Amino acid sequence: MPAGRHPSPPATADGLADIVLPDHECHDVRLGDLWSDRPAALVWLRHYG
Amino acid sequence: MQLHRARGQFEEAGARLVLIGQATPRHAAHFRRRQGIQVPVLADEERISYKAAGAKVAGVLDLWHPKVVAKGAVTGLREKTVQGRTIGDANQLGGAMVIRPDGKVTWSHMSTDAGDNASPEDILAAVRAAVA
Repeated sequence: MPAGRHPSPPATADGLADIVLPDHECHDVRLGDLWSDRPAALVWLRHYG
Repeated sequence: MQLHRARGQFEEAGARLVLIGQATPRHAAHFRRRQGIQVPVLADEERISYKAAGAKVAGVLDLWHPKVVAKGAVTGLREKTVQGRTIGDANQLGGAMVIRPDGKVTWSHMSTDAGDNASPEDILAAVRAAVA
């Protein structure tokens, strides 16, 4: 899903689940693992302010 | 950061709280140290997850409309914070999402302008509803 001029959150997290990002200690984290056993609240920051 | 102060409540509610920023792991680590926070911070320099989450890329008015600037000033005063140096795309807005183990997004608040941020209370209420 491309970034757009209007926010367009998905109904399911299928498009997020397989994304792998490094954490603050450079450990890779698969996003889907964050909510595999319990709900997760993900917060996307605009900036590290 | 208000969210960090509410971290224990997220844990009590049975949910995991994770922050995602648009920079490198080194920037994320620096941010955690500077803010004194314990919440995990993921680094998304390419903004892949921002795109997948449907986060908005702001236009000029979304960043600099007087109402947006005023809202940011009020938030800064309330939290006694000053925005640091912007890293990444300054036009990229953020947001928040609550996801259940079945992958359903039960709640989301993606920012429509730079001053439009979900409160920790709103996110926590969404978490509690997802757990119930």
